Amino acid sequence: MTAAQLVINEIKGYHRFLKFMIFLVVLGALASLVRFIFGLGATTNLNDTYPWGLWISFDVVTSVPLAAGAFTIGVVAHVFHIKKLEPLVRPAIVTGFLGYSLVCVGLLLDLGQPQRGINVLRYWNVHSPMFEVSMCVMAYTTVLTLEFLHPVAEKFGWHLPLRLLRTLELPFAILAAMISTLHQSTLGTFFLIAVDKLHNLWYNPLLPLQFWLSAIFTGLSIVVFEASLVHKYMGQPDESELLATLTKIIPWVMAVYMAVKAYALVFLSHGPLFDRPVLLALFLAEVLLGVVAPFCIFLTKRIRSDKRLQLRAASLVVFGLILNRFNVSMFGMEQAGQQVYVPSLIESLVTLGIIAAHILFFVLVAKYFPIFEHHPEVTDYRIPDGFRRIEGHGHKAAGEAVH
Amino acid sequence: MSSAPIDYDKTKSFLIDTTKCTGCRGCQVACKQWNQLKAEKTHFFSGEGYQNPPAMTEHTFTRIKFRDYQKHGQNEFAFYKEMCMHCNEPACASVCPVGAFRKTAEGPVVYDSKRCIGCRFCMMACPFGIPKYEWSKAFPLVRKCTGCYSRIKEGLQPACATACPTAITYGNRADMLKEAERRLKNRPERYFPAIYGKEEAGGTSILYLTHQPLDELGFKPVTKRPLPSYTWQALRLVPGIFLGVGGTLSAISWFQQRKERIRREEEFKNSVVKPEQKEEGQ
Repeated sequence: MTAAQLVINEIKGYHRFLKFMIFLVVLGALASLVRFIFGLGATTNLNDTYPWGLWISFDVVTSVPLAAGAFTIGVVAHVFHIKKLEPLVRPAIVTGFLGYSLVCVGLLLDLGQPQRGINVLRYWNVHSPMFEVSMCVMAYTTVLTLEFLHPVAEKFGWHLPLRLLRTLELPFAILAAMISTLHQSTLGTFFLIAVDKLHNLWYNPLLPLQFWLSAIFTGLSIVVFEASLVHKYMGQPDESELLATLTKIIPWVMAVYMAVKAYALVFLSHGPLFDRPVLLALFLAEVLLGVVAPFCIFLTKRIRSDKRLQLRAASLVVFGLILNRFNVSMFGMEQAGQQVYVPSLIESLVTLGIIAAHILFFVLVAKYFPIFEHHPEVTDYRIPDGFRRIEGHGHKAAGEAVH
Repeated sequence: MSSAPIDYDKTKSFLIDTTKCTGCRGCQVACKQWNQLKAEKTHFFSGEGYQNPPAMTEHTFTRIKFRDYQKHGQNEFAFYKEMCMHCNEPACASVCPVGAFRKTAEGPVVYDSKRCIGCRFCMMACPFGIPKYEWSKAFPLVRKCTGCYSRIKEGLQPACATACPTAITYGNRADMLKEAERRLKNRPERYFPAIYGKEEAGGTSILYLTHQPLDELGFKPVTKRPLPSYTWQALRLVPGIFLGVGGTLSAISWFQQRKERIRREEEFKNSVVKPEQKEEGQ
């Protein structure tokens, strides 16, 4: 059999859902091809009034905090040295790696001159938030790639890189947190320049701090969200006991976030807050449904053991974050009486393709690489150059439930 | 961004006295000719009121806006020339990741199309909505008024200022401000008591005098603070935060490892070591 036949046979064995994801990815790739042939104006609903649309709002401004799980769980598990959370780290890193890689793809599609992207490295402008985010995203994608090499090296038994990567685990976790702090907050700085454009409900000088805080609790929630889904649909062991540790940390960050948001809203914003009913409704939905409601759920005792409640709370947080980023980067920027921006079919297909690609690649990586077997109780870490199991603790290979 | 500090008083500036504008649109034509901009097929009344083209685009760097109003029971027109304001501290220059925009010492804010990556942050940032995009192209760039930088470097005045028969005075910013204030003082009944551009966005190289209140003419109310300062107040903290986060996390991690090590050593001290038994743990 030729290699192509092998691949086709392999794909034939995939679950219906995965085949659908592949379809969506191909559709998205075709749609992005159309963008390069016919131009941004013809394929998107962007114009001089709305220079930024769905691709910036979702593929960059929203995807980056959604990929924050990697650095937050890295800090909790490695820096705070809560070793038992180790099994959650690797899936989060895979998610982060895929998330950031796809952010780069989304960004390149949105640029008018993607072939000149390298100019960011040639002509520095330290006054530009975009410069800082580009540098950070490049640096962090590199770090995530190296962290992702970990399971790859284990899979292929590359002993030397593995030894090196194990030594660098902690420095990488700290570096990841440093870089992420910068660009997660700077995504908020983007919109500080939009004085008199972004509505007062969101515009205030503490926007960067709010972006950073919400990225932290969303990052941790994404880990909960993902672990719950992976348990539900991919037949991985139930980690709700470990997730319970996270549900104790999340409400603290959320409380700080709410305090900062309330303070900024009351003392630091200028001008009318309640003059636009639609925006007010969006703001209330974001805060009540996306922050206050999950916060209350996280405070209950039941969430420590109830995995359905964990999933529900995490989903609400994710919803709240997505709505917040869209409010800041899209809805809140629309001026009263202006024509409303609605993404075009091509724009939507591309974004859909990017989401599908994330899910698809995650499942495939989990299928072929040791992502979920990273349990400290069954891995002998004292042997630096081999992924050896401690005898007597057999653990089934991952990623089989998808078939 | 600029390296040497610019003396804004010496930058070349426009004083546009809208009370003297006749709406001839000679400036629009001169701009198109000098910059070799494509003609746009437009229809009368396709936009707001009498102004044509209906909007500034990649092909239109300046245009005259029309406002009708009533004076002594008669219909009158007021005109307002829309163009790049050439801010003293331009938002577009501060947000551009590759520094494609630059405030020149002569006054104009110029754009280096060879650097541009097409991210459109300048369009988001500009408080006056000036930079426009080449939406028709597969690999678009940004277009905007150049302040006729190539002309003023040769000692000429900008094309629109040269073409204007009545309303535009061109010269050093300090002189233009003095002239504007002199006009306001001498004929207070003729003017609305404000110079738009004196302090808007931290001061611009375009100064307007009007008869009508500014908002009635369609001038955007813009913050008096230079826009780059809004983002810089956060960005200046970046190096400190970067090192601070790194330092704090390193310290925490060292402390946590130490706790763990001490715990293990205590355990070891208290345990009775049997040589044949392997150490448990992990």
